[in-house]
Amino acid sequence: MRMTDMQDDLDDLLATAARQAPAPSEALMNRVLADALALQPQAPGPRPVATEPGFLSRLAGLFGGMPALAGLGTAAVFGLALGYLSPTTLDYLIGMPTDTAEFFPEADFLTTEG
Amino acid sequence: MAFDANSETSDEALMVLYANGDRHAALALTQRITPRVLAYASRLLSGDRAEAEDVAQETMLRLWKVAPLWRQGETKVTTWAYRVATNLCIDRQRSRGRKRQMALDDAPEVADTGPGAEGRLQDAGRMAALEAALAELPDRQRQAVVLRHLEGMTNPEIAAIMEIGVEAVESLTARGKRALAALLSGRKEALGYEDDGHAG
Repeated sequence: MRMTDMQDDLDDLLATAARQAPAPSEALMNRVLADALALQPQAPGPRPVATEPGFLSRLAGLFGGMPALAGLGTAAVFGLALGYLSPTTLDYLIGMPTDTAEFFPEADFLTTEG
Repeated sequence: MAFDANSETSDEALMVLYANGDRHAALALTQRITPRVLAYASRLLSGDRAEAEDVAQETMLRLWKVAPLWRQGETKVTTWAYRVATNLCIDRQRSRGRKRQMALDDAPEVADTGPGAEGRLQDAGRMAALEAALAELPDRQRQAVVLRHLEGMTNPEIAAIMEIGVEAVESLTARGKRALAALLSGRKEALGYEDDGHAG
């Protein structure tokens, strides 16, 4: 009996064994899959979408943000109101006649000729 | 998107998808890798089914744990899995002293029965003898022979799994096959090879 014969038989034997791979049981596959799902990292949730600031937001930023802009707007409206009010209403609001108001009583000499 | 064991998505891409929470990728990897690792472990462990299943499950468990850290392009998933399974099998053989549990002489003889049953028994006897002969080989030779001739891997793939050079793989498989032939040659008649026309 020659060794070369055995080598041929061995090749046949190995080829037959290669075709007879043991198949995994359903129980094993279920256990492996259960492990996989138990250890699987969770998919990340939807992230908030970052939006570009609009024109108004950027404009407000120039003046220190929306609160500062609100104060500026209030002052502007009040200034316009004062400008359009008649002098009588203004007298009423400030409690004294505007035509007699003297801001610099001692400064008459500046306007006096002579 | 659903994947299965036969889809064209690579194992490496499935690892990334798995790490991102894709449940279909978990199923596809299970279906692809588990049968291969089980067959390999079963052959290294001389057909011990229960231990081979433990090794397969433990290998896959480690795969799931490493998935979030997986770096594509460095190692193939199958190479990694075979390497882990090899180490687990060696650990089990060493810790339990089971390497030579099944001696060659324990392989069943082929009984003379009816024509149909005879062929099946002959095949079973030959497979048992091969299994026993494989168990007689040194660890590295057995790994190389199993990977090359039973798992059908190329020498470069085996080299990557065993972390040795291709020439070393060729040497191990050649020596392993010679040793197997020598171990089985004493049992040719018992295994029924005299009837196959190879008698010389």
